[in-house]
Amino acid sequence: MINYKRFTLENGLKVLVHEDRSTPLVAMNILYDVGSRDEDPEMTGLAHLFEHLMFGGSKNIPDYDTPLQLVGGENNAYTNNDITNYYLTIPSENIETGFWLESDRMLELDFSQKNLDTQKNVVTEEYNQRYLNQPYGDAILKLRPLAYKVHPYRWPTIGMDIAHIKNVELEQVKTFFFSHYAPNNAILTLTGNINNYSAFKLSQKWFGPIESRAIKPRNLPEEPAQTNERILNFERDVPSDALYKFWHIGPRISKDFYTIDLITDLLAGGESGRLHTKLVREKKLFSEINAYMTADIDPGLMVVQGKLMNGVELQQADNMINDVITGLLNQKDIGEEMEKVKNKFESSTVFSRTSILNKAANLSFFELLGNPELINNEVDTFRSVTPEMVSETVSRYLVPSNCSTLNYISTRKDRK
Amino acid sequence: MNNLQRVQPPVFPVEKVVIPEAKSLKLDNGIPVFLIEAGTEDIMRLEFVFKAGQIKETLPLLASTCNMMLSEGSQNYTSEELNRILDFYGIFMNQSAERDSANITLFFLNKHIEKALELSHEVLFQPAFPEPELNSLMKKRVLWYLVNMEKVQNLAMDQFFESLFGKHHPYGYHIVEKDFENITPSILTDFHSRYYTLSNLAVIISGKIHEKTIEFLNALFGNTSLKKLNNDGSDVLLKGEKQKKVHIHKSGAVQTSIKIGSTTINKRSPDYPGLKILDSILGGYFGSRLMKNLREEKGYTYGISSSVSSFDLSGYKVISTEVGSKYSQKSIDEIYKEIKMLQNVAVTKEEMSIVRNYMSGEMVRMFDGPFALAESFRSAWEFGLDNSYYHRLSEKIRTIEPDEIIELAKKYYNIDELYEITAGSE
Repeated sequence: MINYKRFTLENGLKVLVHEDRSTPLVAMNILYDVGSRDEDPEMTGLAHLFEHLMFGGSKNIPDYDTPLQLVGGENNAYTNNDITNYYLTIPSENIETGFWLESDRMLELDFSQKNLDTQKNVVTEEYNQRYLNQPYGDAILKLRPLAYKVHPYRWPTIGMDIAHIKNVELEQVKTFFFSHYAPNNAILTLTGNINNYSAFKLSQKWFGPIESRAIKPRNLPEEPAQTNERILNFERDVPSDALYKFWHIGPRISKDFYTIDLITDLLAGGESGRLHTKLVREKKLFSEINAYMTADIDPGLMVVQGKLMNGVELQQADNMINDVITGLLNQKDIGEEMEKVKNKFESSTVFSRTSILNKAANLSFFELLGNPELINNEVDTFRSVTPEMVSETVSRYLVPSNCSTLNYISTRKDRK
Repeated sequence: MNNLQRVQPPVFPVEKVVIPEAKSLKLDNGIPVFLIEAGTEDIMRLEFVFKAGQIKETLPLLASTCNMMLSEGSQNYTSEELNRILDFYGIFMNQSAERDSANITLFFLNKHIEKALELSHEVLFQPAFPEPELNSLMKKRVLWYLVNMEKVQNLAMDQFFESLFGKHHPYGYHIVEKDFENITPSILTDFHSRYYTLSNLAVIISGKIHEKTIEFLNALFGNTSLKKLNNDGSDVLLKGEKQKKVHIHKSGAVQTSIKIGSTTINKRSPDYPGLKILDSILGGYFGSRLMKNLREEKGYTYGISSSVSSFDLSGYKVISTEVGSKYSQKSIDEIYKEIKMLQNVAVTKEEMSIVRNYMSGEMVRMFDGPFALAESFRSAWEFGLDNSYYHRLSEKIRTIEPDEIIELAKKYYNIDELYEITAGSE
């Protein structure tokens, strides 16, 4: 059981506190309700570029990192389709410096042309390093536009075209800040060696004076239901073929979310998952295979991806994945397997509680979903999934007309 | 409230880090066990460490394959059964074989301790090394290997180790595709019987330790007497290659991987804590000089770092980055410039105080929670060191002076001795 207190400042900032005296550290997590789905289609990648700019100095503090290092702190941040999340850990005696730093960059950034120019370069190198200079690294760039035609999930967080990043101007950065970065668009969570009273007092002192701002309303186009199977083939100079299959699923807060989560665990939760057992161990079609959900807030995707053993035909591999998925409809003997993935989910949840950073990030995100109590009842929800729910969900979502397939074809046919 | 002065709140020196002592004891037959009590959840981390790393292998891939094959079938279970049972009880089992040691680490809820121990005994001491599982593992590993060889950072790192430690030493040799064909069940059985022995084992346990842990361990591992330790290992001499600059061509690469470094002292040397601090200033954290210069100032790279690492018989330091291909030479020049600066110009008081406090904070993180504690314990214990190593490091962080940094930079970063390995398209 994770105990926490919540309160909201007058300016709209939501604050959550969980006290854990077993650590000398405090974790501070600040989530901004802005992600790549909030970008202009002509300027994608801005939310992530902006995350980089957040370290380039704020109104009263020329450099974010130095004062934090001076008090023994460490920090990082990430951006995804839905949110931008900043976090730090700091020895508890110096936690006030964390409040000072985070509140100042919420108050106002120091918008400098020099910093913008450098970070455009850094992000370009990040793009090269993650997507272009890795085998199979560009698959994710191809996958999203195949699955989404309308919704902004159609572009990746890094941006649909690196030219968008290169063209960003300082004025646009400023506008982005004032329309998304604000106390009334953020959730602050503190976990670790801090009590409710001082967390509240410090939040009030440092964040209280920041005025709330007009947030750009979110009017995202709804993705129309997919009605026909989509297939994309493309070739690359890589050691073996790879296969990516993805299906549209419901939103994060839908009833089916934990059922799909459980399905991905049945398929690929550990070495004993069905895909690994049948297609890697028994039939030796894949060298590795995985299944997961994108866990997006708006309707997301369930993904199965694998690399083929040499000599295996893509069509055969694809058929076998479908067989394994259809196999989930057969409820005979599924009981013990469901018990297994439920036990493992429970065990993973307990392990994740050993980290104050995990607890802080989860509390913030669940608060954003409108239900922080998920931190305590996720395991029960997961446990309540029945075999009937599994087969109903498989037949509803995991069907060919709702599926997109990316055949990533190796040009090194000599190996076969 | 509205006239809040937005200046940095008072800075408190990071309190001297509290390092809990591991409780050291022996099973009935003498196997050493270390217990570290920590954490709030009813979970445990249990690590079995053997001196069974690459240094003991007579063929490339032998140590890692032996370690991976432990969970691929035993006397009483097939690999599928083993994995299904582990998953059923929510037990996580990590296997790894490094340069010097090999280990199996289990993470489990305390209520499943008996199952976890029973399975670990099975995996560690009754593996079957079935041929079909070995064949399919090696086929998969060839593909993983080929994928890895597409990445410039791996091409450069492999060459770096070969240049530093030599083509024939287990610390240095490259893996080639043919190596995956040479491992047989009988070679594995032989390696296992030599090195995965009770006399070659130590157990490190942390978490909210179950009260019957020692009783259970004794029942499974403590009642067989220990045979004499087999201490042989590679007799190949550690010898670096002559050529200091090597470029590996990878056509089409849009970034170049750069590795600059050399062999160096390891944890057992009295200079090591000072070298760690020097390394932090150069490239060991986000505010380091290399990061500030190459990323935050020039935007040549997404990241650059330097590190110092210890092996049993040696150690190495490396500066590591991937930069846009057109920035490759400029980046190398800047790296040498930063090294020379450390050799010639005293670090300012301000920078010293940033690095002191940052590193003190890092030390707090190194001893925070049951998993971090066990890892920190192991990484000193493996070198025959105890917590006094960390106390020395902590003391050095607080007291080192700029003069000593200059001396260390001159002594350990002689530019003529550094290897410069690059992999990329130009």
